[in-house]
Amino acid sequence: MVVVRLENITKIFEKKVVAADHITLTIKDGEFFTFLGPSGCGKTTLLRIIAGLEHPDEGKVYFDEVDITEMPPYKRETGMVFQNYALWPHMTVYENIAYGLKIRKLSKDEIHKRVMEVLDLVKLRGLENRFPTQLSGGQQQRVALARALVIRPKVLLLDEPLSNLDAKLRIEMREEIKQLQRKLGITTIYVTHDQEEAMVISDRIAVMRYGRIMQTGTPEDVYKRPENLFVATFLGRYSLINGIVDNINGNRVVLKFSWGKVTGVLTNNRYRLTKGDEAVAILRPEIFKVTKKNGEEMNTFTGNVEWVSFVGPYIQARIKLNSHSILVNLDPWVKASIGMPISVHASINDIIILPSKEGEVF
Amino acid sequence: MNIATLKRELDPLTIVQVTIVVFMLTFFLLAPVIFMIIRAFNYNGSPSLYYFQSLIQDPDFIKFPPELTWYEYRSTAFGDILIIGRIGPDFGLILNTIFISAMVSLFSLILGVISAFIMARYIFPGKNIFRVILLIPLLATPFVNAYIIGKVLGTGGLLNYILHDFLKVIPFRILITGIPAVILIQTLSFFPIVYLNSLSSFINIDPSLEEQAENLGASGFKLFRTVTFPLALPGISAGVALVFIFSMEDLGAPIGLSGAFGEGLHQKIMSFYVYDEFRRGIGTIEQVHPSIYAIAVLMLTIAIIIFLMIKKYVSMRSYAMLSKGGRWSPRVRRLGLKGSIMAIIFLSIVSISASFPQIGVVILALTNWAISGSLPTKFTLEFLSQLAMKRDVIQSITNSLFYSSIATLLMILVGTSAAYVISRRKILGRDALDVLVTMPVAIPGIIVAVGYLLFFATTFSLTPLDPFINPGLLLIFSYSVRRLPFSARSIFAGFQQVHVSLEEAALNLGASRVRTFFTIAIPLIITNVLSGSLLSLVYSMNEVSTSITLSNLNPSQGPITYYMSRVIYASGAVGTVSVAAALGILLMIAQVISISISNYIFKQKVAFLGV
Repeated sequence: MVVVRLENITKIFEKKVVAADHITLTIKDGEFFTFLGPSGCGKTTLLRIIAGLEHPDEGKVYFDEVDITEMPPYKRETGMVFQNYALWPHMTVYENIAYGLKIRKLSKDEIHKRVMEVLDLVKLRGLENRFPTQLSGGQQQRVALARALVIRPKVLLLDEPLSNLDAKLRIEMREEIKQLQRKLGITTIYVTHDQEEAMVISDRIAVMRYGRIMQTGTPEDVYKRPENLFVATFLGRYSLINGIVDNINGNRVVLKFSWGKVTGVLTNNRYRLTKGDEAVAILRPEIFKVTKKNGEEMNTFTGNVEWVSFVGPYIQARIKLNSHSILVNLDPWVKASIGMPISVHASINDIIILPSKEGEVF
Repeated sequence: MNIATLKRELDPLTIVQVTIVVFMLTFFLLAPVIFMIIRAFNYNGSPSLYYFQSLIQDPDFIKFPPELTWYEYRSTAFGDILIIGRIGPDFGLILNTIFISAMVSLFSLILGVISAFIMARYIFPGKNIFRVILLIPLLATPFVNAYIIGKVLGTGGLLNYILHDFLKVIPFRILITGIPAVILIQTLSFFPIVYLNSLSSFINIDPSLEEQAENLGASGFKLFRTVTFPLALPGISAGVALVFIFSMEDLGAPIGLSGAFGEGLHQKIMSFYVYDEFRRGIGTIEQVHPSIYAIAVLMLTIAIIIFLMIKKYVSMRSYAMLSKGGRWSPRVRRLGLKGSIMAIIFLSIVSISASFPQIGVVILALTNWAISGSLPTKFTLEFLSQLAMKRDVIQSITNSLFYSSIATLLMILVGTSAAYVISRRKILGRDALDVLVTMPVAIPGIIVAVGYLLFFATTFSLTPLDPFINPGLLLIFSYSVRRLPFSARSIFAGFQQVHVSLEEAALNLGASRVRTFFTIAIPLIITNVLSGSLLSLVYSMNEVSTSITLSNLNPSQGPITYYMSRVIYASGAVGTVSVAAALGILLMIAQVISISISNYIFKQKVAFLGV
C-alpha cells in the first residue's frame, strides 16, 4: 500500500479545456479517497494521470515519495477499474483475471490459486469459464474488480465503476466495494459524479470544478462545513436566502434581508465578513423542525405550504415566506396540505453562511 | 506538442510501425511518382514547363474548336446504320478524359442514388433479387466485359439483332463507339459504387431525424431534399468522387473497345494514351516520350485534387456521429401496384443492362459466341478446360496467386501498423499518415506503372528490383501499395470499434505496449484483418494498370489480367477471347467466394469499396 501525492498537477486539453489546474494533494495510505464533481471537472483525468494513462503538462506524481511522473503505466502497479469495465471479450473470466498474473510470470499453480481466491472474494466462483458477454452488468463489474485486485496493486483506481448499473445494484455494490477495501486495506481512489455515492463510500472527498479542487475533507466536513458556495450547492438540496451582514460574533453571523433576519455560522474562517457585506444563508431541508412558536423567535420562519410531496421517510414541502420560499423536510406523520399555515425552526449551528462573492480567497 | 510528449508517444512499437508504413509508401509509391513528376518538369536538363506547353498547344490533346458531330447516318451494303461516336464528340485527349469522367460521375450519381433510394426505402416484389443483381456489375472481369459490350453495341451485335432484326422497331442499325461507348461502359460498371455508398448512407440515417421533419410538416420530395439527401450527401459524394477517379484511370473500357472495334476515339483518352505509348516504347525507357510524364502529372493532379477535396468535405460533414446509435427499425414502405411496377421496370433496365457484361462473359466462355455472330449456337467446355491445359494460362494464374498472396501479407503488416498508429497514437503527423495511407486510391495505376518503370529502371538497374528483369517482384509491391487503402480501412474500422480502455486495462495490469498490441488489440480485430485481406487478395488479382504495363517487360511473369489484356487487345486469335472470358469466370468466382466469406463467416459488412 502506498501514499499517493500529487504536486502542482496541471493538464490542459487542446489548449483550452483545463482538466487540472495546479492540483496538489496527498492521499493517505489505506485511505478511500474520492474525486467528486460534475462532468468535465477533470476528475477522470486526475485518475488517469495517477494510472499513467495521461501525462500531466506540469507537476509530479509520487507514490511513497518516489517520483513516478515519467513511469509508463505498465510499471506503476496500479489496479484500475474502468467505467465500461474494459473486459476483454475474447477471453474468459478466468483468462481476464489471470492476464496480469501471467505478465508477472507466476507459476500456473500460483495463478490458479490466486484467481480462485479473488473469485471467492468477489463472489464469482463457478463463473470462471464464462465469457464477459455471458455475464450480467453486476457480474462484469465484479470481474473487472477482481482483475484489478488480483495483482495486489499498490493503489486501486475506480473510474465511475457503478455508473452503468441500475439503482438497486449500485447501492449494493457500493457497500460491497467499501467492505472489500476495508478488508484489504488498500489505498483506493474513486471517481464519481454521484454525491450520495461519494458520501457513503469515502473516507475523504475532493470536490472538483473546472480542474480545481474546491474542498477536500470528510463527507461530514464537505456537507456540513462547505468552504464555498459551489461545494454548498453541489452537495445535497438547499434553499438560498441572500442578505446583508447585520452583526458578527466570532463565526456567528446575523444576516438581514427585506422581511427578516437569519442567524447562522460562517463555515469558512478564511473569509472576513464585516457588517454591510453581502452574504448568503444556505438552508438544508432536513435542518427544520415544525414549531408552535411564531416568526418573531430567532430562526423561526412562518408561512404557508406552497407544495407538498410524500417521499417516504419524510415529507418534502415548500413553504412560501414573503418573497422567498424554502424547502423543508417534515416528519412523515406531520399533516401538511397546500395553503396550510406552518412555522419551522432551525438551529444556528445548522445554518451555513457564506459570502456572496468569494473570489478573494482563491 | 513538445519533445517530451513526442518521446513518450514514440515507444518502440510505434517507431517500428511508423517506419514500416513510411518506408513502404515512400519507397514504393511516393519516390516513383515524384521521380516521374521531376522528369515531367525537366527539359534538356533544366526545369521547364516545355512538355506541358507543348501538350496544350497540340490539337490532339486539346482540340479547339472541338468536334461536336456526335452521330452520322450511313447507307451501306448491310443496310442503313446510325453511327454514334465515330467522328465526335472529340475535345482532344485531355478534355475527352475529363468529359468522360464528369459524364460517368453524373450518370452514376443519378442511377446510383435513385436505385439506392428505392432499395433503401421501399418494399416491393422481387426486391431481394435486385439486391443481388445490382452487385453483379462490381464483379470485375477486366477487358472482357468491355469487349462484350462492344460486341453487343456493334453493327452485328445483340442490340441490333433484337431491335432491328427481331423486333423491327428501328429501321436502321445502330453502332455505338468512341467516347459515348466509353461513357456507357464505365457508367454501367461504376454506378454500383455510388449505389452502395448511397444505400449505406440512406440506411444509416437515424429515422427519428426524418420522423421529426415529418412531424413538423415536411413530406415527399421536400423531406428528401431538405433532410434525407443532405444527410446522405457525404457518403454519396465519396462514391461519386471514387467513380470520377476510377473512370479517369480506367483501361478496361478503351482496351475492351479496341478489341471489339479496333482503333477509334475511345482510344483518345489519357489513360489509354499513356498505356499505349508505354507499350510501344518497350525495350528501353529512353524510348518512352517524356510528354507522357506530363500527361501522367496532369492526371495525377486532377485525381489528387478531387481526392483531397472529398476527404476534407467528408470528414467535415461526417454526420454519422450525430446519432446516438441504438436500435431503430428502418423506414421502409410497401409500394402499391403502380409504384411496384415502376420500381421493378426501372431497376430491371438498370440492373440487367449493367450486369449483362458479366452474364456475357459467362456465355462467351461457355459457347461459340465469339465466332457465331449475334447469338451463340453451341455450348462448349473447351475454353474452361484450357485454363487447366494451356501453359501460358496456367502460368498467369500461378503468377497472379503468388503475387497477390505475398502482397496480401505485406498489406496486413503495413495496414495493421498504419491503422493502429492512426487510431491510437497521438503523434505529430498522424493526419499526414492517414492521407498517405488513403492516397493510393487517388493515384491512377498507370501512373504508378510509369513511375515504377522510371524509378526502378534508372535507380536499381540490374538489381532484383529492375523492372526489365523482375517485373513480378515490383508487381507484388505495386499490389500491396495500391490495394492498401482497402485493407487498412477495414482494419481501421476494427480498431475504432474496440474501445481504447480495453488496451489501457492491459497496460494498467503491466503489459507492455507490444504485448498489449499482440494479446489484446490484434485478437480483437482479427476478423477485420482476415476479411480485409481476403478482399485485398482478390482485388490484387484483379489489378489491371501496373500488371499489364510492367508485365510487358517480361511476359513470362505476367499475371491473369496481363494475359487477358493481351488476347483482348490483340484479338487476333478468336478462340483466345473465349479463354480470357473463362479467366474472367475464374476471377468472378474468386470474388463471390471471398465476399461471401467476409460477409457471412466473418460477419463483416465491408462494402466493396467504402472509402
